[in-house]
Amino acid sequence: MNREILLEVKNISKTVHGLAGSKVRVLDKVNLKIEKPERLGQIISIIAASASELTALLKIISAIEKPSEGEVHLSGKQYHKSAGDIVFIPEHPSSFPWLNVKQNVEFAINFKENIPGSIDNKVSEAITFVGLEGYETHFPDDNSLGFRFRISLARALVADPKIILLDEPLKNLHGETKKEIFNLITELSKKINVTIIIASMNISDAVLLSDKIFLMTRHPGKIADTIDIDRSNDLNIHSDYFHSLKSEIEKLLTGYENIPLK
Amino acid sequence: MRLKTAPAKNLYKYIISYFVLWILLFEFILPSNNILPKPSVVLLSFSALWHYYKLLFNFTVTISAVYLSILLAYFLTSLLSGYIVRKNHFVSEFLLSLHWFSHFIPAIVFGLFLIYWLPGSAYIEYLFAFFIALFSLVIRVNEEAAKVKHEYISSAVSLGVGESVIAKKVIWKSIQPAIIKYLIVLQFNIWSVLIAFEFIKGGYGLGRIYRLALDYNDLSVLFTISIIVGITIYLGTQLIKYFKNKFYHWSLD
Repeated sequence: MNREILLEVKNISKTVHGLAGSKVRVLDKVNLKIEKPERLGQIISIIAASASELTALLKIISAIEKPSEGEVHLSGKQYHKSAGDIVFIPEHPSSFPWLNVKQNVEFAINFKENIPGSIDNKVSEAITFVGLEGYETHFPDDNSLGFRFRISLARALVADPKIILLDEPLKNLHGETKKEIFNLITELSKKINVTIIIASMNISDAVLLSDKIFLMTRHPGKIADTIDIDRSNDLNIHSDYFHSLKSEIEKLLTGYENIPLK
Repeated sequence: MRLKTAPAKNLYKYIISYFVLWILLFEFILPSNNILPKPSVVLLSFSALWHYYKLLFNFTVTISAVYLSILLAYFLTSLLSGYIVRKNHFVSEFLLSLHWFSHFIPAIVFGLFLIYWLPGSAYIEYLFAFFIALFSLVIRVNEEAAKVKHEYISSAVSLGVGESVIAKKVIWKSIQPAIIKYLIVLQFNIWSVLIAFEFIKGGYGLGRIYRLALDYNDLSVLFTISIIVGITIYLGTQLIKYFKNKFYHWSLD
């Protein structure tokens, strides 16, 4: 049975001005459909060999930037103005260093009208969920990337979005912090009714986290393949299933490099 | 980023060394010269400065013109920040067009026009200092706003926060450490142009004392006033640094 479409990206193209007045086509007729999740949440990854195209696509989906052509539809309606339904979390820290943790999280709803329920409760729940309980009055400026990511995630959660876009969330993290954020994203998809779309250049992370992966070519970016991941299968870095998926994706991505540049 | 304070220790050593050198050279070795005054004459000149040159009154005029204009310009910029920091807004476009002229016309020329337009005004130096402070600050705000991290703006936009709130609560806030740090440069610039302005105009202020001292060939007053100006600017700098470290402590790395 076909599930309802949550997000539909229709023929999105983006051309930007390059050096010396040249025009660069970053995205070329990108099409993708994401259905509403079967269970509570879901994680979708978009993998590409180039970060700039991934970021451009996420910014267009969240209506931060306008496409040169094409449309984005959320639950059947065109989404062309940011309204907090699709929240974008950039690769680099975006928590505001002049606000403490609580104020950062409150920022997402302080300027909105008709917020259902108690703002304080929503903020406390989000802070607790991302593991920052007890750090409400801390300022993010001298803290780790993981700490700042948690703030951005809590801020996204209080906005009550349908989709959260994460631009390479694990790229600059290492060791224990990377593991913690990895687990936090997994837990989020299990406990909260939100679709998480991750832009990544790391195949292993994407395979381990996702329910579905879109593969994108580069120069210009275009969705070339879709891979569904069977979460009921044994999936860890030692499993055969993981390795077969990883080598399949590597093979496909390498194949795209032979596509002649437009 | 906290402003560095470590070199201050060395600075004090230099100041004490120059002070001792000045006493040795100009009190004992070269008592009669036209380079710097004798330390003992400088001490004696305080009485003349106080009574004849009306130091307290003139100092109050200049210092209040400098710091009141900076304060007022800062608050006005803060009030208008929602318009100033926005790209392609007619207010910011208009200000940037004025910026172009400032590359070719020195600020003091504007002062000369003010003297011509308002020859009898008692508040003319306040007006001059305020316009210079406001103009410089607005241009700086506009420049700093262009450097704000895209991540801050993108995440606020995606949360559905409106443009004017982003301008006020994200961009304006984000540039505060740079703006407060710029006030140090601004106060120095205003001191410089204001003294020149008062010197040309006459009337009140430390520039007026400089002019009288030159007219009377009074090297000791010239020297003492320069020391007073230097100490005031130094104290002003320390105060601004204190405010920056206390209230605008965040780093944007």
